[in-house]
Amino acid sequence: MSKPRRVVVTGMGAVTSIGTDLESFWENLLAGTCGIRPLRLFDPAAYRTQTAAEIARIPDDFLTDAEKRRMSRADRMGLAAAREAIDRSGLDLGTEDPTRIGVVLGGGTSGLLDSEAFFDRYLRGQPARPSRVLNHLPDAITDRVAQRHGLQGVKSTITTACSSSANAMGYAHDAIVAGLADVVITGGSDVLARLTYGGFNSLRSVDPDPCRPFDRDRRGLSIGEAAGILVFEEKGRAERRGAPILAEFLGYGVTSDAFHMTAPDPTGAAGARTIRAALHAAGVNAEDVDYVNAHGTATPQNDSAETAAIKVALGDRARQIPVSSIKSMIGHCLCASGAIEAVATVLTIRDGVVPPTIHYENADPACDLDYVPNVSRVLTVDVALSNSFAFGGNSSVVVFASERARPPA
Amino acid sequence: MSPRGLITGAGAVSPLGRTSSEFYRRLLAGDSAIRPMTGEERGDLQATHVARYDGFSPQPDIPANKARRFDRGSQFAIIACAEAVAEARYAIGEDPESIGIAIGTGSAGAGALTEFLRVLLLQSPEAAPPFHFPNTVANAPASQVSIELKLFGPNVTITQKDPSALNALLFASLALSSGRARAMLVGGVDEWNAVYAMGFDRVGALRGEKRDSGIVQGEGAFAVLLETEEGAEARGARPLARLAGIGLAGVPTEPYRFAPEPAAIERAVRSALDDAGTRPRDVQLWFPSRNGVRAMDDAEAAVMSRVFAGAAAPRTIAVKEAIGEMAAAGGGQIVAACRAIADGNGGPFAGGAGRRCALINSFGAGGNFLAAVLESPA
Repeated sequence: MSKPRRVVVTGMGAVTSIGTDLESFWENLLAGTCGIRPLRLFDPAAYRTQTAAEIARIPDDFLTDAEKRRMSRADRMGLAAAREAIDRSGLDLGTEDPTRIGVVLGGGTSGLLDSEAFFDRYLRGQPARPSRVLNHLPDAITDRVAQRHGLQGVKSTITTACSSSANAMGYAHDAIVAGLADVVITGGSDVLARLTYGGFNSLRSVDPDPCRPFDRDRRGLSIGEAAGILVFEEKGRAERRGAPILAEFLGYGVTSDAFHMTAPDPTGAAGARTIRAALHAAGVNAEDVDYVNAHGTATPQNDSAETAAIKVALGDRARQIPVSSIKSMIGHCLCASGAIEAVATVLTIRDGVVPPTIHYENADPACDLDYVPNVSRVLTVDVALSNSFAFGGNSSVVVFASERARPPA
Repeated sequence: MSPRGLITGAGAVSPLGRTSSEFYRRLLAGDSAIRPMTGEERGDLQATHVARYDGFSPQPDIPANKARRFDRGSQFAIIACAEAVAEARYAIGEDPESIGIAIGTGSAGAGALTEFLRVLLLQSPEAAPPFHFPNTVANAPASQVSIELKLFGPNVTITQKDPSALNALLFASLALSSGRARAMLVGGVDEWNAVYAMGFDRVGALRGEKRDSGIVQGEGAFAVLLETEEGAEARGARPLARLAGIGLAGVPTEPYRFAPEPAAIERAVRSALDDAGTRPRDVQLWFPSRNGVRAMDDAEAAVMSRVFAGAAAPRTIAVKEAIGEMAAAGGGQIVAACRAIADGNGGPFAGGAGRRCALINSFGAGGNFLAAVLESPA
């Protein structure tokens, strides 16, 4: 049998509320910069809360005015992050076989903000542009990334709510391992919208102040928006072309809680199944894990259930390693959260610095791990997990490793 | 190539029947669920036709008090998936982590989303009903299935235009080959939604007065249980069909533009046949993608006459002419192919004995092309 194909990350791009390129995002993340501020994208006056992690300006100067008009906010964010990721990977797409390069993204809210402009007029009986409804369908961004870069390989869009882009990375990995593609552009782009803002508020899940993951006084999440794009590439090929190898994607776990549409299993058993599946797929043990990038939404239920899941799955190791939630800075970017958190996880491995959980003041007996409170920490990280849990009990955990951790096969 | 898995059960909830057998029987009989829209459905659309599951009730499969918790798409999906699991006699409780679900959809969540926004935008955000919010996500049907059937395995929903269900089939086959699961429910679900119809109408996608001037939107759910060969054999399952190959191609284009590129169609079809180790002349039953988009249908017909050149023309079943087009339609093609391959009376396989082989084409807007080959299990 031939050697199994392995998958590495050779480029990344980020568009977030605390930085609209990879390095400024990372710098602000390590500085503990909070991107959760008064919401301006739409009028929040009638909502219970008025803050969000909003992107002030999307770096879309490379698009023509006509393109910008045609595209949704999520399209423009996603294209900007994809462009940065491909640039950084050093891939010269003009010389590549386009049928071997795919696009697998996660989405869900996607361009809904633009669709809402239609809904608002339509529901009031005013003239409206119905084509805007289609902005909400998440596959539009996938098609646009393939269109812009001339890619003809596998295309898919996973929509599993808040684990969408984590699962997209898993699908991208499996497609490369199976030989369906050599390179896959993966990740996701998701925007703030009235539906999700009003929806989480209707469930009383939003903190009026910036969210405080794992803190005793946490009151809910802060909603954010982001695009995070990663270039996944078959390892041997990446090495041959001298590509910058940022980390290896070792594997992922994808499971159903089969518990409840919105509530996590409080015992942590469901989340632990996902973590175990991820460790198994990645071929590592609990003792190998150096860092967990938590889902850490800051809802009372998630953070205690996730803490329990980490303890059940990692045993003693759970108390020896840092666990942090970057949602404390960039909010919950919903369908893009898995991707942007994966970007942060890869950078943690690259630079040996763990981003903090900010706004952390008081310990909660139900959340008793090391959450890297408020200040980033220098630490060599060779194997890291990033957790994503979602409405519907769609759970996904991805595993990245440094080149140091995995000797050549 | 290595086998992609055995299909051991099928289910359908469609305007052509509430079980996979009835759906298959009426499909073979040439029935079609496509009907003119009512005035209310049509409003000021250019579109004229639709294929809805009129008179659908979740009872008796789902008790009334429970059914209220699910939106229409979830009701469809729960019933179709339960049928597939029942036919396969898969004992989920014995190892719930061994079985997962991959569903394609283009519209799941649309009804809940529309209702939630109606209140949020016209009254106030505070009045918006929290009950609807969790069902606005497109993964609601697959997740409701996972909760109802207690599946702990992989659970994904895929949206990639008309071939979403074949895309889910690809995901599921990778989940099996990578050892993530031993069995995967695979299929598609869609619910008709008036607002989404306006969107597709506006971009000129829907059929008007003239035949073949666009797609007719359908709704329903289709599911099969795909298992690893070893898993199915170990538990003594009686497979309906074998998934032998999948092929795909992409064309870089605008998300809602059809790109009738012969080279992409041929690449998708030939890579599916090659993957399956099947020659074009072995294909006795063909499910075309044909959906009423003239330029795409013409390109498909031209390419396929080249692919099938020199061979007897396969029996053709155009599923979308019977149930309309939707992201779930590929699920209908897969279910029909399985029922046909397992049909003891021969069905569309005139010869009766010998290896049976079916080819499914599923092409969509945005340059998305997939094809799959199903064949006799042994």
